[in-house]
Amino acid sequence: MREDSIEREIEIGAPIERVWEVLTRPEHVATWFGTGVPIDIDLRPGGIMTLDHGAFGRYRTRFVEVTPPRVLSYRWAAGFPDQLPDTTNSTLVEFTLAPTATGTTLRVVESGFASFEMPADRERAAGFENHSEGWSDVLQRAAALAEGQVVEPLAGRV
Amino acid sequence: MTVVEDVLGALADPTRRDLLGHIARHGTATATMLADELPISRQGVTQHLALLTSAGLVDSRREGRERRFHVRPDTLLDTSAWLADLAHQWDVRLARIKDLAEAAPPSD
Repeated sequence: MREDSIEREIEIGAPIERVWEVLTRPEHVATWFGTGVPIDIDLRPGGIMTLDHGAFGRYRTRFVEVTPPRVLSYRWAAGFPDQLPDTTNSTLVEFTLAPTATGTTLRVVESGFASFEMPADRERAAGFENHSEGWSDVLQRAAALAEGQVVEPLAGRV
Repeated sequence: MTVVEDVLGALADPTRRDLLGHIARHGTATATMLADELPISRQGVTQHLALLTSAGLVDSRREGRERRFHVRPDTLLDTSAWLADLAHQWDVRLARIKDLAEAAPPSD
């Protein structure tokens, strides 16, 4: 898990297979992500999905993992219309689906906003490893510290 | 105008986050002070400070033979707001996915 990520989760009152369909079928993706226009989806690792954002352009995503109905991930070149995503121009969007007693928990993690690869052997600062805390909260704390406000320390160190 | 990717790139390195944290807690700090406190060479500190400066995260003024650095909270707050906005966009998309999944009949 990288630190520069957004994590969001929602409880859905529908079976996991149904949620998978909404995530992967063109007519649904066009509704929740695009502008209502059916779009191409080549649903396999390495396959391309085109997201139509109307006047903003067409954006290409490349599937990384397709494991129905549990994991779907793709690289999304959100800032680069019509370019194919690679590790320098895109973020990684990962959907994880888990069945619950009443339906499905859907989790999304978008990561890699800093398009800069951190050496894998590098020890990470402990304060930023607390994943219950969003990245934007961490930045707000740092800003508050810089302004001289009293800030409760994060787990570990700031 | 600071580019958000530059800010996050600068923050992606744990050493630079450490440096930023130390400067924030002291209010201001010189490269010599930071090199004394952290397990980094004076030269390393200088290089990291240059990157933090170009990302708009710190600024400095000359004081005698050294530069004294301070954190720029505006850059941190802008970045934080940008990330919060992206997170909000995901909340909106997840709510639409939920509506679609709960409304439409399962197709077999």
